[in-house]
Amino acid sequence: MRLQRSSRLLAVALLATSLVGLTACGAGSRTGAETATKVACDFQNPAQATTVNVLAYNSSAVDPYSNTMVSSCTHDNVTVKHDPIDFAGQVQKTTATLAGDTGTYDVVETYSFVVPDLAKRGKLVPLDDLFAKYKGAYKLDDIDENLRKAMSYEGKLYGLPMQTQVLTMVYRKDLFDKNGLKPPTTFDELRTVSKKLQDSGDMKYPLALPWSASSDISTGYKATLNSLGKNFIADDGKTPNFTTPESTKALEEMKSLLPYMDPQATTFDQPKVQQQLYNGSAAIGIMFSGRMNDLVQQKNTKLYDKFAFAAPPSVEKGGKQYGALSVDGWSIPANTKVDHDLLFQLLGSSVSEDASKASIPAAYPARKGLDQSASPYAAAAEKAIAGAPPAEAKPWVPPITSATTDIIGSVILGKESVADGTKAMQAAAEKVMADQ
Amino acid sequence: MKRREFWLLVTPSVIVMFGFMLVPLYRTVRWSFERVEYGSPGTSVGFGNYSAALGDARLGRAVLFTLGLTVVVTAFCLVFGYVLATLVNQLGRRLRPLVLGVMLISYVLPHVVGAVAYSWLFDSNFGGIVNFVANKLSGGAFGEPLWFTEAWPNRAIVAANAVWFMLPFAMLMILAGLQGVSSETLEAAEIDGAGPLQRHLYVIIPSIRGVLGFVLLIFTMDVLRIFDSLIALSPQAVGLGNESIMLYIYNVAFREGAVNLGLGSAISVLTILLILVLLYPSIRSLVKEAQAA
Repeated sequence: MRLQRSSRLLAVALLATSLVGLTACGAGSRTGAETATKVACDFQNPAQATTVNVLAYNSSAVDPYSNTMVSSCTHDNVTVKHDPIDFAGQVQKTTATLAGDTGTYDVVETYSFVVPDLAKRGKLVPLDDLFAKYKGAYKLDDIDENLRKAMSYEGKLYGLPMQTQVLTMVYRKDLFDKNGLKPPTTFDELRTVSKKLQDSGDMKYPLALPWSASSDISTGYKATLNSLGKNFIADDGKTPNFTTPESTKALEEMKSLLPYMDPQATTFDQPKVQQQLYNGSAAIGIMFSGRMNDLVQQKNTKLYDKFAFAAPPSVEKGGKQYGALSVDGWSIPANTKVDHDLLFQLLGSSVSEDASKASIPAAYPARKGLDQSASPYAAAAEKAIAGAPPAEAKPWVPPITSATTDIIGSVILGKESVADGTKAMQAAAEKVMADQ
Repeated sequence: MKRREFWLLVTPSVIVMFGFMLVPLYRTVRWSFERVEYGSPGTSVGFGNYSAALGDARLGRAVLFTLGLTVVVTAFCLVFGYVLATLVNQLGRRLRPLVLGVMLISYVLPHVVGAVAYSWLFDSNFGGIVNFVANKLSGGAFGEPLWFTEAWPNRAIVAANAVWFMLPFAMLMILAGLQGVSSETLEAAEIDGAGPLQRHLYVIIPSIRGVLGFVLLIFTMDVLRIFDSLIALSPQAVGLGNESIMLYIYNVAFREGAVNLGLGSAISVLTILLILVLLYPSIRSLVKEAQAA
């Protein structure tokens, strides 16, 4: 009897603990808004209670901005809501919320890759008038003009830039110093450096690139192609460039790096590349800059003080870098029922000078003139931005990327020849362009 | 039961069934004949989506992979579920709930979470304990199989993962069936000289035929719909030919830049037909058994 009672008590205690634990888990994981930086968010109080739903994926670079918006702009009659979501979830929810006459979200996080397509289809509100109205209040002119252009389509601004991510190179300074190596500035040097690291016995597979064959590999191909001076589509705006000599060279150059990469590299996305660097199983990585600050956190890796950063190499000497510039920003969906004026003030606060300062070093803010000395990778990112190929900000880029990703994967994996692959990519791109 | 009470109790279920099953089914069938973009009315394309689906070699590969996986996983789970259930059935009253509780952990875990953790067993970035242990035991002869980039090693871990999370369910169902087998019949068989194997083959298995048929039915449906575990375990599924039908539908219908709900819906309708064909023998057998009872 006593045993039964104590068993029951134990069961009740376990259940209660689990429930409390789960509740705490839920509360704590919703957002980091409770601890976010508070900035001024002064808007004219709406007459009625207004809820603003924000769609933004969670990452160490985007979180400071979304959390600041939630913590600073929830007052009076306005409640800002932001639920945690991953990037893939954001992509799907963006498509769904922008689809009809009404949507679930009033503010969406967008990025330069998708803005032209969404803007062309009339899914986003042009922000130029609101930008002009509030540029004084939020010092919006300090936001880099090139980044504003990246969030524009046909001369109109559709996204207020918050931060930028650029492909940046990270390397193990200790191993480079030990072997007398310098950060590579071309693919040729990258191969030489990787070979030396292999030969020294320090690293079996020194190079780590996010080349997941089902997704990230298209970013790698585009960065290589852009570095060789070509875009997906020729300047005539019609002809795909996939059967050009540059496209063939891009794929061959990518394949030439495989001997220095993990044999399963085509399954590695950015978190896995980060993990390779944390573990010490890679010495050189090229990823978007938003991932860099994680590498120097002691809680993540015992190698936190061994990393250094540089701009990525170019494919050929004198060419543009193996680079990609992605600008993240806030957009207002065309189907939101909330007052656009009110929403823009929330966006302005979220990217204000104070909010942008607070996002360093997790993010590389879109604002110019901020003190970035606390950021270990800022100098490298700055060089990477300066040397990155100009972005092909066109509505056809997302569908072509999607249509060609599996083919690129197949070529890199050696299942398809470069010649066959480029022909297949050309055909896929022509099909996309026929629908444009 | 009065007619009014009957409708009062049945109506909520009918509403739920209508809302959550028939409406989506109707939408899927309708979209399968249309070119659909989110938020805009579809435009009719006749049987265009069906001819596109049936003309895509990828669908054939996805069907072949899914059917192969279904046969292997179902057969394995039926056989080993039976063996495990027999063993658990012989445990004492105190030990049995504990063993059952531990075994059911993999079943109640969300598939995608379980699959991510499972992938780490084979991923050297996250320890790769399987390679480590196998190489320790074999003196290094096991080597470093490319679990995620070669077709057959990848199929092996996908199948192993499906068995890992589905075996407990088979075991639980079969255990319930075993507990209904009459001890008198077993004793009679023993007195008649039947050995342990004969008792299983000629007494126990025929007695729980209905339960085994039910397990077969559920497993056929579940494995045919495998999706989320492939996200973690087979990041290169398309290239390796390890794309399941559901993953193929997802890739066609929802992947960024290639939203094609019409084609995805047509493949879904074809999948429903395939599942119905495959399940027909099991359903017929279950109905016959129910009528006989």
